[in-house]
Amino acid sequence: MDELTREFLIESQEGLDRMERCLTDLEERPQDTELLSEIFRSVHTIKGTTGFLGFKRLEKLAHAGENLLGLLRDGKLSANEAIITGLLQLMDALRGILRIIESHNHEGEAADAQGDAALIARLNELQHPVKATITVAAVTEAAAPPGEVPTQLAPPAAHPSAPAIPDPETAPAPAARAAAISDASKPAADDGKPKVAAAADSTLRVDVALLNRMMNLVGELVLTRNQILQATAANPNFTLLSRRLDMVTADLRESVMKARMQPVSNVFSKFPRIIRDLSQMLHRRVRLVLEGQETELDKSLLEAIKDPLTHAVRNSLDHGIEMPDVRAAAGKDPEGTLKLRAYQESSHVIIEVSDDGAGIGVERVRNKAIERGLITPERAAQLGERELLQLIFLPGFSTAEAVTNVSGRGVGMDVVRTNVEKIGGKVEIESRPGKGTTLRLRIPLTLAIIPALIVRSLDQSFALPQGALSELVHIPPDRVASAIEWMQGTPLYRLRGQLLPLVFLDRLLSRQGRLPASGLNGHPPASAALPGRDHFIAVLDADGRRFGLVVDGLADPEEIVVKPLSTILKSIGLYSGATVLGSGDLALILDPGSMATRAGVALAAAKESTEVSRAEEDAGSMGSRYLLVEAGQRRAAVPLGDVLRIERIPFSRIEYIGYRPVLNFEGQLLPIEDSAGIFASVAGEPDAQIIVVVCREGNRQVGIAVSHVLDVAAGNELFEAGSQHRASGVTLLNDHVTGIVDLGAIQALPMDSLGGGYSSDWSQVSETTTGSIA
Amino acid sequence: MSSKSALALRKDSAATLLEMCSVRVGETLFGVPIKHILEIVGNTRPQAVPLAPEFVGGLVHYRGDVLTTVSLRHLLGMPVESSEGKNGNVGHHDILVLESSGGIFGLLVDSVGEVLTVSSDDYEHNPSILEEHRAALFAGAYKLAQGLLIMLDPERLDPMRLGAAAA
Repeated sequence: MDELTREFLIESQEGLDRMERCLTDLEERPQDTELLSEIFRSVHTIKGTTGFLGFKRLEKLAHAGENLLGLLRDGKLSANEAIITGLLQLMDALRGILRIIESHNHEGEAADAQGDAALIARLNELQHPVKATITVAAVTEAAAPPGEVPTQLAPPAAHPSAPAIPDPETAPAPAARAAAISDASKPAADDGKPKVAAAADSTLRVDVALLNRMMNLVGELVLTRNQILQATAANPNFTLLSRRLDMVTADLRESVMKARMQPVSNVFSKFPRIIRDLSQMLHRRVRLVLEGQETELDKSLLEAIKDPLTHAVRNSLDHGIEMPDVRAAAGKDPEGTLKLRAYQESSHVIIEVSDDGAGIGVERVRNKAIERGLITPERAAQLGERELLQLIFLPGFSTAEAVTNVSGRGVGMDVVRTNVEKIGGKVEIESRPGKGTTLRLRIPLTLAIIPALIVRSLDQSFALPQGALSELVHIPPDRVASAIEWMQGTPLYRLRGQLLPLVFLDRLLSRQGRLPASGLNGHPPASAALPGRDHFIAVLDADGRRFGLVVDGLADPEEIVVKPLSTILKSIGLYSGATVLGSGDLALILDPGSMATRAGVALAAAKESTEVSRAEEDAGSMGSRYLLVEAGQRRAAVPLGDVLRIERIPFSRIEYIGYRPVLNFEGQLLPIEDSAGIFASVAGEPDAQIIVVVCREGNRQVGIAVSHVLDVAAGNELFEAGSQHRASGVTLLNDHVTGIVDLGAIQALPMDSLGGGYSSDWSQVSETTTGSIA
Repeated sequence: MSSKSALALRKDSAATLLEMCSVRVGETLFGVPIKHILEIVGNTRPQAVPLAPEFVGGLVHYRGDVLTTVSLRHLLGMPVESSEGKNGNVGHHDILVLESSGGIFGLLVDSVGEVLTVSSDDYEHNPSILEEHRAALFAGAYKLAQGLLIMLDPERLDPMRLGAAAA
C-alpha cells in the first residue's frame, strides 16, 4: 500500500471518529451549526481524497452524504432521528469500505453495490422532507448555495435535463467535485479552520511501533543507568556525572511514557453511539454521563479496556436499567442514567461504569448459580452478599431470562474480568437492589513498568508482580518442621487459623520434582525432608484463588521493565515475561494464575478462597484489622486498610523542612510522623536504618516512623464500662489495649503552621484511653 | 582461503562467493552465513529457564530485548555441562544473534572463529546417510582444504521450529 493511501486511511478514520462523536451530540443539539460543519468537513474530506485516489465506491457514498449534510448545514433541513440514523449508516458503510481498502488495497466490489445503491437512495430520500415546498427550496439550495453562483452554474449546465438534485449515480464526477470543493471553501473560511490549524501545529502523528521502540530503548537506558550508578558509587569523579545521567534518564522515561498516554475520551467517545443503538433496540431510555474524559492512560491499555468496557455497558443496559414504565412505577425517572467515570488514584486509573437501574438481585444470582451448576446449594447457602456478587464473574454465568442479541449468553462478566486482569488490573462490583450497580475497573497506569517483588529459588531470581501479592510470611529454620504441615502429601500452612495450600516454587519448576511425588508411591514425604533453612511464603491471590508460594529467599521490591518472551517460552505457561534487574541479571516474571493452575490449586482453591475471605469478613465484623507496630517503648495500631507499604530506609534519606521531617518517596514528599522520637535515638549513627509505615490518609500519604512492625491482627471494639459508648481511638489487639494512630492528626505539608507544635498522637491516645477504660 | 584463490575461482566458473562466520562446537567446524548474523555477543552466561524445552539454552539480554537462545551442543547431543567459554568460566558461551523469518534468537556455541569466504562450487547437500535429526539441522557442507565446514541455516534452528519438531 502506498504512503498516500495509508495517510488517507488514517485521516479518514480520524474524520469518521470525529463524525461519530458529533452525530451523537447532534441528536441533542440538532441546530448546532458548528457540529454540522464538522460532520460535513469529515465527509467532504473523504470524498475529495477518494476521487483523487480513484476509490469510486467511497466517492459515491460520500457524495450522497455530503448533499444531505449540505442541506442540514445551511439550515434548509433540520436533523431528525431518521436523518441521523441515515448518517450513522453512511458512516458504517464508509468504515466498512475503509477496512476493505486496508486489507485488500482496493475498495471491494459488486457484492455491496446493491447495499450502496440502497443507502444512496435512502440518503437522497432524506433530502425530501414530507412537504413538497421544502423539497423545492432544498433542491435549489443544493444546486446553488448562495454566493457560489459562478461555480454552481456548471453542473446544471452540463446536465440541463437532469433532475434538480444532483444524482451521484449520473452526475459527472468532476463537476460534482468542483461543486463540493467550492462548498468546502465556505466552512474553511469561517470559524472552523483556525482551531484545526492550531491543533495541527502543536501535535505530530507518530507511528505506534516507533513509540514502542522508544519505550524499549528508554527501558534499556534505565537499566544501564542502574548499573552505572552501582558501578560508579565508589568513585567520586563519576558521582556528579552519574547523578546527572540518573536525572536525565528519569525525565526521559517520564516523557516517553507521557507520549504514549491518550485521554480515555478516545474510548469513551464510542459509547454515545453504542448507547443510542442499544437503547433503541432494547426500548430503554438512557442518558449517558461521561466524566473525567481527560484522564490519560497508556495507549496499549486503552486498547485493552475497550472490549471489557463495552461488555460492561451492554450489561448495564440490558440487565441494569429497567424499562421506562417499570422505572416510572418504581418512582424513578423513566430515563435511566448510565455514568462512565474515569479518574486517577495514585498509580492506577479507575474507570467506573455505574447505572441507576435495578441492581443485582443477590437471590437471583444465588439461584442461577445453583441452576447452572456453578456452585452447590450447600455452599450457596453459606455465602454472604459480597461473595454472591463475585459469582457473576464465573464463566458461564448469566441471570438473563432469555438469551438476547445483547447479552445473556453467559460470556460477559468473566470476559471483563479476564481481560482486565490480563493487563494487571482488577474488577470490583458494588450493587444495591433498586438503586443500581457500579462496576469499577482498576487499571495500572502503564503496562511496561510494574512493581514486583524479586524472589530467589533454584539459585536464580524470579519476579512476582505485586498486584497479586497479599502478604509475606517468614519461617525461620527451627520452625520449618512444625510450621509446614502435611495432609497426605499436600503441604499446608496455618495462616491465622486458616489452611493455606502451599506451592514450592523449586518443585513446581523442576521436571521431576525434588521430593518423590506422594501420589505415586503412597508415602507422603516427611516434613523432615525439608531442608532446615529459612523459608519464605508469598501469599498470592490469583483470580480469587489463594495459595502460598514457598521460595528460598526474598530480595528487594523493584520497578521492573517487562520484556516479552519468545513464543516457545510463553507456551510453558508459567512466565508472563522477563526483566532485567538492577544487578544486570535476567529474571523471569512468574504468572500467579498459571502457577495456581499448574499446581492444581484451582479446584480446591475455589472453596479455599471463599473460606478465607469468609474468615476475613468474620474478622471484619468483629472489628477492623490493624498493623501492630512498636515505636520507642509503646505499641500502637495502624488501620491496615490505610497502610500502603512498609519501607526500611537509611536514616540519611530523612530530610527536614523547617522542623518537619520529610521523606522524598518515589518523587513525592511524604511528611513523617516521629512522635516516638526514633530519629533522635538513631541520629548519631550514620548507617542507621529506620522503618517507615506509609499510610493513606484521605487524598494524601503520610509516613510513620516505627522501631518494629510486630503483627497484623484483628482488633476488637472496646466499650466503656457500664455504657454502650464505643471507645474511640483504641482497640483490643491480641488482648492488649492498643492506641490507634490518628492519621488525620498528622499535619499536612506545606506547613503554614510550622513550628506550631504538632501533637504526639499516640501518647495522647494511649493515656486518655487507659484512663477511660480504667 | 586467500583472496587470490577466491578471485581465481570466480574466473573459472560462475560460482558465487559467500561469507561464512565459522564457529566451533567441540571439534566440529560450522558456518553461518554472515548476512543472517546481527551481532556476536562474547562470553555470556545465559539465564536458565526452568521447564523450557531442553534445546533452549536460556535467556540473554540483547539491546533491550530478552532473547531466547538455542544450545547447539544440546542439539548435537553433546554433553552440555563440559562446555566452557574462552575464559574457562563454566556456563559462559559465545552467542550468535541470528535473524530468521520467525524473529531474532541466539545460538550458543563454544567459540566463534574467523569469517571465511566460500564458493558455492564447493557446496554439497547433506549426504543421504546422515542421521535424520541432524539432517534436519544442517543445510549441507562446504568442502574446504582444512576439512568440512557444515553450514547452519538459521531457519532450521529457529526455536519455534525446533519446538514444533520436538512436539
